[in-house]
Amino acid sequence: MDIGLLGQYLANGVMLGTMYALVAVGFTLFFGVLDVIKFSHGDVLMIGAFTGFTTYLGIVAIGIENPWVALVAVLVVSIATTAALGALIARYLVLPLKSAPPLNILLITLMLGTALREGVRLFYPDGSNPKAFPALLPTASLELGSFSLRADSVILVSAGIAVIIGLNLLINRTRLGLAIRAVAQDEETAKIMGINYTMIVLVTFAIGSGAAAFAGIMNGLYYNEVNFGMGLLLGLIGFSAAIIGGLGNIYGAILGGFLFAGLQTVGAVALPFASAYKDVFAFGVVIALMAWKPTGLIAERSSDRV
Amino acid sequence: MKDDVMKTPIPVSLPPLATGLIAVAACAIFGWLFLLAESEVAVLGLVLLAVLAGWGAQKTGLSATLGTAMHQHSGAMNGAIVASLLAVIALLGTEHFPLLMLSTMLLYLVAALGLNVQFGLTGMVNFAGAAFFGIGAYTSAVLTTHTAVPPLLILLAGGLIAALIGALLIVPVVRTAGHYSAVVTIAFGVLFKTFLEVNEVLGGPQGLMVGSMNVFGWDFNNGPVLMGHEMSFYVNYALLSSGLAILAFALTRRLERSWLGLALDSVRLDETASACFGINVVRAKVLAFTYGNILAGIAGALYGMMISFIAPNSFTFSDSLLMVSIVLLGGLGSLWGSALAAVIVVLVPEKLQILQEYRFLLFSVLVIAMLLFRPQGLLPRGVRSYFPGGRAQR
Amino acid sequence: MTRTASRRTVLAAALTAALSISLTTPALAKETVKLGFIGPLTGGVSNMGLGGRNSAELAVDLRNKDENAKYAYELVPLDDECKPNVGVQVATKLATNRDVAGAVTHYCSAVAMGTVDIYHKFNLPIIVWGAVLPDITYGNEYAEVHRVNGTMINQNEVAADFMVAQGYKSWAIIHDTTDYGKGHNTYFTKFLTEKGGKILGTFGVTSDQQDFTAELTKIKELNPDVVYFAGLTPLAVRIRQQMDKLGIEAEFQGVSGMKSDAYFAGLSGDLAEGTVTFLEGAPAAKLPGGAYFMSEYDKAGFGENYEAYGPFAFAAMNLLIDAVEKVGPDRKAVTKYLADVKDHESITGPISFDDHGQNTVALITKYVAQDGKWVVWEDSEYASGKRQLKHK
Repeated sequence: MDIGLLGQYLANGVMLGTMYALVAVGFTLFFGVLDVIKFSHGDVLMIGAFTGFTTYLGIVAIGIENPWVALVAVLVVSIATTAALGALIARYLVLPLKSAPPLNILLITLMLGTALREGVRLFYPDGSNPKAFPALLPTASLELGSFSLRADSVILVSAGIAVIIGLNLLINRTRLGLAIRAVAQDEETAKIMGINYTMIVLVTFAIGSGAAAFAGIMNGLYYNEVNFGMGLLLGLIGFSAAIIGGLGNIYGAILGGFLFAGLQTVGAVALPFASAYKDVFAFGVVIALMAWKPTGLIAERSSDRV
Repeated sequence: MKDDVMKTPIPVSLPPLATGLIAVAACAIFGWLFLLAESEVAVLGLVLLAVLAGWGAQKTGLSATLGTAMHQHSGAMNGAIVASLLAVIALLGTEHFPLLMLSTMLLYLVAALGLNVQFGLTGMVNFAGAAFFGIGAYTSAVLTTHTAVPPLLILLAGGLIAALIGALLIVPVVRTAGHYSAVVTIAFGVLFKTFLEVNEVLGGPQGLMVGSMNVFGWDFNNGPVLMGHEMSFYVNYALLSSGLAILAFALTRRLERSWLGLALDSVRLDETASACFGINVVRAKVLAFTYGNILAGIAGALYGMMISFIAPNSFTFSDSLLMVSIVLLGGLGSLWGSALAAVIVVLVPEKLQILQEYRFLLFSVLVIAMLLFRPQGLLPRGVRSYFPGGRAQR
Repeated sequence: MTRTASRRTVLAAALTAALSISLTTPALAKETVKLGFIGPLTGGVSNMGLGGRNSAELAVDLRNKDENAKYAYELVPLDDECKPNVGVQVATKLATNRDVAGAVTHYCSAVAMGTVDIYHKFNLPIIVWGAVLPDITYGNEYAEVHRVNGTMINQNEVAADFMVAQGYKSWAIIHDTTDYGKGHNTYFTKFLTEKGGKILGTFGVTSDQQDFTAELTKIKELNPDVVYFAGLTPLAVRIRQQMDKLGIEAEFQGVSGMKSDAYFAGLSGDLAEGTVTFLEGAPAAKLPGGAYFMSEYDKAGFGENYEAYGPFAFAAMNLLIDAVEKVGPDRKAVTKYLADVKDHESITGPISFDDHGQNTVALITKYVAQDGKWVVWEDSEYASGKRQLKHK
C-alpha cells in the first residue's frame, strides 16, 4: 500500500474518531454527575443536526448567502436549542426519576430517543428520507498523489478537537467545572457546600447536549447528509467508546473514540476476511478489551473491586 | 394476571382471598377482551379502563388487600391465576391471532424472568437478551431441519447452547461491573446480529425455516379437537408457553426466595460487603448470568418453532432493548411486574397497529408517562421481610 | 372496524357494540370488502413502506369513487417493521380475519419469506408489491402467492448487459448485508462475470452505516470504472457523497432500491448527475395510467413520496380489486382468478403470472440521473450522446 493511501486512512480515522469522541464526552459528563446512562444522546445529536439544517433553510430563505454567517447562525441556533432540550430532559425526565433505580432513567431516555426519532421521521417534511446538508466550509483540497486532504475536513477536525479541549478546560479549570466535579463526587456534600445541585445537573445536561449538537452539525458538514436514524448508531458507538476509555474521565472518552474509529477502519480494509465482518471484529475486540481492562483503558481513580 | 384491575370499591368485610379471586377473574376477562379488541374505540376504552382500575386500586387500598391475599393464600391465588390463564386460552379457542399474541407474550415473559434474575437480583445488566433468545431460535431451526432430535429436547438444547455461548462472555461480564458489563453485552448483541447477517452458514440475512413443535407424535401444527370443534393450532403453543412460563415463574420465585437469591441480592447491593461475608461473588454472577441465558434460550427455541421462520432482523439490539424495557417497566426484580410489563410491551404496540406509522411514537410516549407516574416501575419489588420461624417473603 | 369472530360471547358483543362507532360508513348499500396492505411503516425503510401504503390507499380510494364498482373497499394497512417475526404476526392477523379477501404485501424479502406459509395455510391470496427475492415465488408451490414486480434476477441481468455494452471494464461492489443487498450482489456478480466484466473488490456494509470512507479509500486504490451499490437510497446518498469527498471519479451504478427522488434531495450540488439505476416494470410516467396515477397521487396530498415501488403497490391493489369485482370477495375464487391473469393492463406495464404467480413480463427500465430527475435512459441526453457517463 502506498504512503498516500495510508495517510488517507489515517485522515479518515482521525475524522471519525473526533466525531465519536465528541459523542462519548457527553456520555462521560452525564455519567459523571448523575451516574446515569442517557440513551437518547444519539437522537439529541440528530435533533441538533436537523435544527441546524432547518436554520440553514431559514437563513437562505431570508436571503443571506454568506456561508460563514450561515455557519455561525446554524451553530448558535442548533447548540442553543439542543442545550435547552438537554436541560429540559434533565429537569422533566431525569431528575424526577432520581430516587428510582438508575436503570429506569436508561429506559425513559431510551423511550425519549424513540419518540424524538419517530417525531422527526413523521413530522419533519419528508422526514423519512435523507436530507442534503449544505457544504458551508471551503472544499479546496490538497492532492498529494493518492492522498487528498480537504480543507473542510481539516477545519472540522480542528474545531472538534478544540471543543473537546474547551470542555476539558471547562470541567477542570473553572468554578463551574469545580461545582460539576463536586456534584459528581458526592451529591450530599456538594449541597452542603452551597452548590445548587439542580442547577448544576441542568447545566451539565445542557453542556453535554450542546456538544452533541456540535457533533451533529459536524457530521452534517462532513457527510453533507443528515437523516432521522443517524443518531442511533452514533449513540451506541459513543457510549461504547466512553466505556472502553473509562467513564468519568474525558481523556478516556477521547481515547475510546479514536480506538473505535481505528478498529472499524482496520476491520474494513486491513483484515484478511470480508469487510462485512468489520463490526463483528470491532465489537469482538471491545469484548476482549473489557475482559482485559474491566474498568476501561483509563481506570477510574476510585475503584471498589474486590 | 394483573392484580389491580377491579375498580368498584370492595366492602371491607370481604375476606382478602375472595377479593383476590374476584380480581384474578376480572383480570382474566379483561385480558381476554383486550386480546380480542380490534377497533380504536375498544382498544382505547380498555386501556383507559386499565389505567383507571390501576389508579382506583391504589386509592381504595385494593392493591394492599390483594398483596395480603397473595401472601396469605398464595396457593389458592396462584392456582386461580393458572386456572384463569387456561380459561382464557380455552375461550380464545379458534382465534389464531390472539392466541399467537398470548403465546408471544408468555415467551417474552420467560426471557424477561431470566433477565430479571440477571439485573433485577444480581445487578448485571444484559443488553443481549434478544441475542440469547435468537441463539435458542437458531438452535431449534438447525435441529428441527437437520436432525431428528425430539423437539422437547430441542427446547432444552436451545437453553443449553445459549448458556454455552453465554459462557464465552463470562470472563468479561464477571470481571466488569455496572455500565462496563453493559457494554460487553451490547457489543455481543450487535456482533451476534451482524455475524448472522454476513455469514451464510445459518441462512444469512434471508433467515431459516424452523420445524414445528412435536410432542410424543402430536404435531403442533394440527389444531386440537375439543368436543367436536377444531381449535386453532396456536392453542398447542399457547398451552406449552403457559407451561413454560409457569415453570419459569415458579423456579425464579424459588430462586429469589432461597438463600441463593439472598446472596444474589447482596451482590447487587454491595459486592465488597458480600465478599466480606463469605459470599462467592464470582459464583453468584456466573449462576445468575447462566440462569438468565438458559431461560432466554429456551423461550427463543419455542418462539422460533411457533413463528416457523427466523431471520437476524428479528434479534437486533432494539429487540434486546424491548426485553430490557419489560424488566424495567415492571420494576427491577419484580416478577409480577415483569408479567404485567410483558403484556404492555408485547401487546400494546400490536394493538396500536391501528395507528399505523404513529404507533411507536405513541408507545414510547406512553412508557415515558408510565415511568413518570411510577418511577420505580409499575409493580416495584417489595423489601424482603423475615418473620421469626417463618419463611422469606418478597 | 370490528371483525366477526366465529365465537364471540354476549359480553364481548355488548362491549364492542357499545364502544365501536362505525367510522367508515359506505354511502350506499354496497357490501364492504376488506383488503390488506402490509409493509414497513416504521423504522429505517419506512419511506418505502409509506409510499407503498399511500399508493395502495389511492387505488382503494379511486375505486370507491367509481360508481360502477360493485363493492365498497376498505384498506387494512399493517406495519411489519421489516422484521420477520412481526411480519408473521400481522400476516396471521390479516389471514385469519375472514373479512379480508386478499392483500398486497411486503417490501422486505426476509419478511415475505417468513409469511408465505401463513398465507398458504389460511388460503389468503396475496400479491407481493416490493420484495425482490426470487424464492418468494419460486421457492414454493403456493397458489396464493403472486408478485407484480420482477425479481432481482431480471434486473441484474439487464444491468450487467447494459453496463458492459457501455464499455465499462472493471467494477467495485458495495452491498448492504441485508437479504436485499446480498441478493443483488450475488446475481450481479454472476451475470457480470459471465459477460466478461471484472470485479476488483466486494464490500459488505451494514444497513445503518454512516461512514464509508474506509471502504471507499480501498476502492480508490483499486481504481474501478464503476462503483456498483446494492442497497437503498439513504446509503446510496451517503456513499455517493463520500465518493466525492475522497475524489473517486468512477461511475456510480445502483439498483431499484435507490430509484427515488430522495436520492436527489439527499445529494448536494450535481453529485447525482449521471448515476444509473434499474427498475422492474415499464416507466410509469410514460404509460397513460402512470401519468394518471402521478397526478392523482399529487392531488391526494400524501405527506410522503410514492418512491420506487409505489406504482407496484398501486398496480397490485388494482389487480386485486379487479379480481374481487370479477369473482366476488371469496378467497378461493380470487386465487383462481389471479392464477389466470394474462396481459392485465397496469401502470407498470401488462401483468402476466406464471405457474408460480410471478409476473413474467420481465420489463426492466434503465434510468439515468439527469438534472435532478430520473430520466429513462433512451430519452436521456446521455443516450443521445450529448452528455457522457463518467469514466468512459
